[in-house]
Amino acid sequence: MIDPIHQFNIDKIFTIGHIGNQEIAFTNSSAYMFVSVALISLLMIGGVAGRQLVPGRFQSMAELSYEFVANTIRSSAGSEGMKFFPLVFSLFMFVMVSNMIGIIPYTFTVSSHIIVTVSLALLVFFTVLVYGFYKNGLKFFKLFVPSGVPIYILPLVVLIEIISFLSRPVSHSVRLFANMLAGHITLKVFASFVTMLGAFGFVGWVGAILPLGLTVALTALELLVAFLQAYVFTILTCIYINDAIHPGH
Amino acid sequence: MARGFRLSSELIAGVVVGAVIGWGFDRLLSTSPWGLIVFFLLGFVAGVVNVIRSAGVSPERTGR
Repeated sequence: MIDPIHQFNIDKIFTIGHIGNQEIAFTNSSAYMFVSVALISLLMIGGVAGRQLVPGRFQSMAELSYEFVANTIRSSAGSEGMKFFPLVFSLFMFVMVSNMIGIIPYTFTVSSHIIVTVSLALLVFFTVLVYGFYKNGLKFFKLFVPSGVPIYILPLVVLIEIISFLSRPVSHSVRLFANMLAGHITLKVFASFVTMLGAFGFVGWVGAILPLGLTVALTALELLVAFLQAYVFTILTCIYINDAIHPGH
Repeated sequence: MARGFRLSSELIAGVVVGAVIGWGFDRLLSTSPWGLIVFFLLGFVAGVVNVIRSAGVSPERTGR
């Protein structure tokens, strides 16, 4: 009855085909990804369709999200970073909307699976690598050589910098994944206390008020975390892109 | 909580990546266990560097 992990089950809805012996299936995870993309498209396309001078509700939501992401990029990667606006905006909207959908009871949280967050983080990582080498050529390696370091400890520092660079996609993806997973498990555990205490009759009912209140409070906290993690993911993307644009330090 | 998660994941990522590099190094060159020991420690250092940077103590990297 009480299984806090059950909400993360991947269920097959239908099979698309096979590659080798590996089945490629359309799962509930893919369905929720489609739902979030559809919601974002609805908001952005529907929001700007009116083109009012004085924006309505939807238009101001679309404009606000544009302004928010654009300001984030400008402040952490400079105006040159605006080249990457489509990528950063898509990442932010996808992560935020799928997190928000995940808070609704009985839904599935896409970013609670590490494979999803790792693919997003690797996308950013390889974008930084490819663009960094394309724009700066071999000067991109300056990223690993901080200026003003004495020559005799330079090899050690370069090695540490390289490990630090390689650990970026790991921390980038684990952070989002762990936050969503931990938050949803906590919610589920506290909610299950309510039903467990409710089985003890009247005394249990009175005692169940406490976990019920905590569940409500945790839902509010999760709402904050869902937005905050999307924002943190975005701002780190901007910082990494900034390194690709200006590698020297 | 969000900040704690951020900093701890930075540290863990550094250590894990260092350990994985060391393990792969040992596997390829059969220098076990020296690669693991050296790269594990280097990974720990890289993790601490990451934490200091993301905490904003040293401004030159994260300040912009």
